[in-house]
Amino acid sequence: MTNSIEEIESADCILIFGSNTSIAHPLIATRVFRAKARGAKVIVADPRKIPIVLQSDLHLQHRLGTDVALINGLMHIILKNGWERKAFISERTENLEEFRKVVEKYSPDRVSEITGVPVKDLETAAQYYAKAERGSILYTMGITQHTTGVDNVKSLANLSMLTGNIGRESTGVNPLRGQNNVQGACDMGGLPNVYSGYQPVTDQAVRQKFEEAWRAELSARVGLTATEMFPAALEGRVKAMVILGENPVLSDADSHHVEKALEALDFLLVIDIFNTPTSDLAHVVLAGASFAEKEGTFTNTERRVQMVRKAIEPPGDARVDWRIIQELSNRLGYSMDYDSPRAVMEEIARVTPSYAGIRYDRLQGDGLQWPCPSTDHPGTKFLHQGKFTRGKGLFSAIEYKPPAEVADEAYPFQLTTGRIHVHYHTGTMTRNSPSLEREVNECLLEINPEDARELGIGEGDRVLVSSRRGSVSTRVKLTETEKRGTVFMPFHFFESRANILTNPMFDPVAKIPEFKVCAVKIEKMETGSAR
Amino acid sequence: MSKKIKETVRTLLVEGKIRGFLGLIERDGHVMPHLFGDPQELEHLSLGDHGRAGDARYPLNQILIQLMRAYPEETFAVLVRGCDERGLRELFKWQQLREEKVIPIGLGCPEELARACECEKPFPDNLLDGPKGEKVEGQKVARVNAMDIDARLRFWKAEFDRCIKCLGCRNICPMCFCKECTLEEANLIDSGEIPPANPTFHLVRAIHMVGRCIDCGLCEEACPADIPLRTLYKKVAEIVSEEFGYKTGYTVDEKSPFNIIEVK
Amino acid sequence: MEFKTVLTTCPYCGCGCGLLLEILDGRLIGTLPSKTSPVNQGRLCVKGWSVHEFVTSPNRLIRPLVRKADRLVESSWDEALDLSARRLKEIKERHGPDSIAVLTSAKCTNEENYLLQKLTRAAIGTNNIDHCARL
Ligand code: SF4
Ligand code: SF4
Ligand code: SF4
Repeated sequence: MTNSIEEIESADCILIFGSNTSIAHPLIATRVFRAKARGAKVIVADPRKIPIVLQSDLHLQHRLGTDVALINGLMHIILKNGWERKAFISERTENLEEFRKVVEKYSPDRVSEITGVPVKDLETAAQYYAKAERGSILYTMGITQHTTGVDNVKSLANLSMLTGNIGRESTGVNPLRGQNNVQGACDMGGLPNVYSGYQPVTDQAVRQKFEEAWRAELSARVGLTATEMFPAALEGRVKAMVILGENPVLSDADSHHVEKALEALDFLLVIDIFNTPTSDLAHVVLAGASFAEKEGTFTNTERRVQMVRKAIEPPGDARVDWRIIQELSNRLGYSMDYDSPRAVMEEIARVTPSYAGIRYDRLQGDGLQWPCPSTDHPGTKFLHQGKFTRGKGLFSAIEYKPPAEVADEAYPFQLTTGRIHVHYHTGTMTRNSPSLEREVNECLLEINPEDARELGIGEGDRVLVSSRRGSVSTRVKLTETEKRGTVFMPFHFFESRANILTNPMFDPVAKIPEFKVCAVKIEKMETGSAR
Repeated sequence: MSKKIKETVRTLLVEGKIRGFLGLIERDGHVMPHLFGDPQELEHLSLGDHGRAGDARYPLNQILIQLMRAYPEETFAVLVRGCDERGLRELFKWQQLREEKVIPIGLGCPEELARACECEKPFPDNLLDGPKGEKVEGQKVARVNAMDIDARLRFWKAEFDRCIKCLGCRNICPMCFCKECTLEEANLIDSGEIPPANPTFHLVRAIHMVGRCIDCGLCEEACPADIPLRTLYKKVAEIVSEEFGYKTGYTVDEKSPFNIIEVK
Repeated sequence: MEFKTVLTTCPYCGCGCGLLLEILDGRLIGTLPSKTSPVNQGRLCVKGWSVHEFVTSPNRLIRPLVRKADRLVESSWDEALDLSARRLKEIKERHGPDSIAVLTSAKCTNEENYLLQKLTRAAIGTNNIDHCARL
């Protein structure tokens, strides 16, 4: 996030884009509720009528995958009315004219036609956001999990720069990170192109620094992304994989394909705390420790580094993961000799400028938000104050492109996927929590009651949902949450794997698959034919 | 920091009168519940004030129930404010705790906190330290009472619409001790719905708290949706007081009209 | 007898709520929200409230497993680690370091993520490391 969680409370307009906030980030929803109680305007742009819509002043229920068109449409209205912040634009940004040329093509009528949002609502939304003193944008996977994910994010950045809603308190473009330590995994260099602190592996000076620090020769070639690893395994270019605490068989698009790829490996090592559909395919499974059994740090979505403290011993013979990694490294002939996670953090601080000031002793109390470049630096509440990382903020001219797969005669529904309130990701943890499992213990395909009636489907009936990649059976729930033509499935359930259906086509830059739209058909199954 | 409380607890521990003192400790820059078994630890004792008076209160009585289930023969001291003492009394009556095994260490609340709570009695009878504050006249229930019945329903329904069914109101409640919870009864409240059945979910809980809610306010402080739950339960308490003449936690011998179970 | 609460950070979503694990005699018996955390200020969602349940689940893995005759069977740590290192070394020697790929975890700590990318880059010699940020 460019800004902090507590700042959301003081925004006077909040634009929630593709984020099921009260379900996926409940404690951020709290701040939205408070802003609303203080009189902020809340706009929800989402194809589904998610619970936070009840708390909004305006719901833009655009068609799946039409985000760029919608955002361009809002910016068109802003420019036409002269609501842009001219001083901010001239001082802090560049490329407005190129950008204006593209945005000019997105008249309200055309945008309304593409997105299905009434012109009047487009105008109200543009006005609320542009006129806000402190406008804050919140977004999640509803924006990024598309073949146009990067375009979507850039479009939101355009919108914030156009209205000067960035670089100040309670503004910003704020991605809410879905998993507790996604932020930290990125910060720590769990990415194929950068070391910790986003230092590129292709930069010779950087590489040399790490070669000296680590006393090893390092590769200058950018590695494979997760979405590229599986095809590479099928083609035989990747022969072995090590998977720490992830479950790609359930979490990745086109599940069957992932399974085949993992089966094709000569060697698969999985480290996890439970058996999962992924560990079932492994040659070796190592029993790791849960968060309650180890010391370390997590970095939350507002870049706050916080302590994880050991409360109990790992069960049985299970071991803490940092020790497992260290022992494996030593056996591979590369020596690691840390006596504690604290010592690891000291090394991280030495080689990572944004974490340079982070020490365990300083993390008592409220933790620290990076960038924290020195041990006397108090941490950073919001980014881009006075200046963008790249100097001037760049307006990107972006055209709308439809999703890679749209509904057609053979597959007449658009499927979107996401989370439900009691479960998390592939359910490895939540489905092993009896009280959560009691609340919801099976996948339910959500469908609009009208659509269901036309298909002759009733509440709780079992259906076969099929895409060009496979079929899954699931029961249905009739709900006005979905608009006609759109259906929703959570991806937590092994019994009804939504990701058998999803489209692995990915964004060319971010390599994020299009989980949020694919075309499916729905057929009622006769009772007894459940599979 | 209260010397009196520290010294009293130290003496109890040293003389072996208690197995431990359940209170709050300051650690890692935060305040949290802790069972003090060693007088040395009392150096880090906290009374639950972090940024503001009483902003780090925890359901100690709930923890005490768990301790006493594990160690039924031991005696414990516990930090109590006015509401907690009311809680102890009801928990004795509901047979969740044994009076002879509990030594209350009483703390009176400052005016600032009493006002925020709109507390009827912001100190325990067993007062060891802190002020013996005045009853605060409530405004919040009065404001709801001033609405006509339709406006009132609209008000509550709009509040309940924010509920994310975290169940925090139940989980943190020192007076929720049922083995089976009606909020999980699928025939009454559909599972998997957000917001949960409105207003059924909230009214079911409110009714179940009759004769139990001691107005500690922990539920409202735990609510991610900032729903004014305490006002709701205060209203229920007002009705019970008017209709049945029962005030929860104010007497030691009289049982709530809803506590009709006889345990021999 | 010992009862204490340990302040830690929620393992689910990216909010990063502070929570207290209730420990009685070394056993995890419950979860409470941290009242003093700047993020959640004494609140949690339904998942945060139940973290103790999965931690203490009887389904937890408690020992390494090694595939033998197409079945995963329990093994010692030495056996599992030695086998893993041997296979990875063989594959690296035969097909080069880029034939190995590593998925690190958005659920593990910073320290663990740092060490695993270090292992990937320094011990194996490839940049094939990623995690499910995209998912
Ligand atoms: S105020 Fe809330 S938490 Fe306290 S006893 Fe009443 S219902 Fe329970
Ligand atoms: S604490 Fe608030 S949000 Fe959570 S279940 Fe209770 S009323 Fe609903
Ligand atoms: S308690 Fe809920 S909102 Fe808070 S970090 Fe955990 S999952 Fe997220």
